[in-house]
Amino acid sequence: MERIDGTGARSVQKTPEEEATALESIQFTDEIHRLISAPSDNASSFTALLEMPPTQAVELLHSPESANLISNDTFKPPHMEDFKGRLHFPTNIALVERAARFSVFAGEGSNNTNIEKNSVETALNDSSANLKKAVKSEPAETESSQPLVSDPTVETKSAKRKEREKKAKGSAKKSKTAANESSDDAEKLPYVHVRARRGQATDSHSLAERARREKINARMKLLQELVPGCSKISGTALVLDEIINHVQSLQRQVEFLSMRLAAVNPRIDFSFDSILTAEGASLMDSNFPSIVTPLMWPEAQVSGNRQPYQQQWHFDTLQQQVWGREEVCHNYITPENSLLSYDSSANSATLHPNQLKMEL
Amino acid sequence: MRSPSSLKQEFLKKWMMGLHIYGSLKKKMSLLERKKAIKLSADIAMASARNGTTCWSRALVANASKDEQDKILVQHILGTESERLMKKVSVLPLMSNKRIRSKKVLRRSYGSIRRAKKSNIAASPPNKVLAISIAKRLVRKRTLLLKSLVPGGEFMDEIALIEETLDYILSLRAQVDVMRSLANASELNNKN
Repeated sequence: MERIDGTGARSVQKTPEEEATALESIQFTDEIHRLISAPSDNASSFTALLEMPPTQAVELLHSPESANLISNDTFKPPHMEDFKGRLHFPTNIALVERAARFSVFAGEGSNNTNIEKNSVETALNDSSANLKKAVKSEPAETESSQPLVSDPTVETKSAKRKEREKKAKGSAKKSKTAANESSDDAEKLPYVHVRARRGQATDSHSLAERARREKINARMKLLQELVPGCSKISGTALVLDEIINHVQSLQRQVEFLSMRLAAVNPRIDFSFDSILTAEGASLMDSNFPSIVTPLMWPEAQVSGNRQPYQQQWHFDTLQQQVWGREEVCHNYITPENSLLSYDSSANSATLHPNQLKMEL
Repeated sequence: MRSPSSLKQEFLKKWMMGLHIYGSLKKKMSLLERKKAIKLSADIAMASARNGTTCWSRALVANASKDEQDKILVQHILGTESERLMKKVSVLPLMSNKRIRSKKVLRRSYGSIRRAKKSNIAASPPNKVLAISIAKRLVRKRTLLLKSLVPGGEFMDEIALIEETLDYILSLRAQVDVMRSLANASELNNKN
């Protein structure tokens, strides 16, 4: 395909097998040009249409927006070279549709709108006819979208969006239609492109499954980063294990902390004034825990028992930073101790319960 | 993204509001009652901080409003959004249940078809197949467990479940942080 620089260069380099893929990528630019060059769509060959220079189209459309489109469009092909692996076709189509919309609603004349509609429909027809050889499943979808074309030109849903483009190892390429073809903005396109890798099944079920699996894996990675200690683990089951443990420990902590709070006050009113005067710091500050712990340290010195408090303090800072399962066992200790005595030793987890009992 | 400190502040505000309401409602409460009150207001405050954007928050609110007593508290904390949230809350689990059920039926049918196909094809070394099936079983078990942990998890599919878990963990962390600092502060305060 000679005319378009970027895609043309790509197709020339690649094997005829992959020209099918290049063809499909050309389809979009092809359609753009066809949309622009309204009346001469009767030619069935690709090249005839593609050789249509964009400047002619400007006169055809008689609108300034199309000039913008053209200027943008001539921008696009060189950019497409850069996007070797990722082609952002929606922008092209969006521009096309926007221009179409403008020219339709700009009220430049009824004949203009008719031309637009016809051009779009014929473009779609042609594209579907031409691409039948290249890609098998495509025309089925474009034809199924034919009935929708009768709606205003905005809803030219032949535009597909490449959601994920793998490296072109694939020999075949299919597209997957979403369940509903909604008629909203070009950005929310219903089709999702999933390229099949070499040697993998290409029926729609396995493709759908693969897309779903990839979604799940991407989100699992996020979770892994969130939960500490999970990034080293490989394998879904073990990661899920860690996540479950983490959630359980957090929930248990909430339980125990609420028990502590209930024990602290005879009535549940936490008057901030008294707390603030004691602390000299605002609870709103997220650095509150770090402020509390240094204050505990002078407390410890007053009571005269250094060692357990040292460990206590050290452990408390650890606690803030490390979200681990160790916390759970400490929280087992704390509520019980706080109930027995309102000693500061109950404040945060101690390493050894025996030590604590000795102090009491 | 929502910053953690703003989340904490919002949580704290709403939590205190809930506690004040509780305090005004009942004068004398036993330890356990107090604990329940604290935990409940904390949970509702956490859920309302998300404002109905996440599924778990809605499920939490729904569970809380089942009990007539707690419903009052819920409505107080949520304030004006309570009506809107209640509508969302009541509708959602029913609809998602149906959706999930139909999805499960579909998936089971796909599975049986594929299994029929596979039986014709020569099986790969049985060890591999066994390992894969075991792994799948493990993952399924754990997904069920996770669904039971996250509020409203039974109604979600796997993808949504993972997103919800993410959000839930973040909110839980913020909650625990605030509660712990408050507990530390008040205990220190009591000593003085």
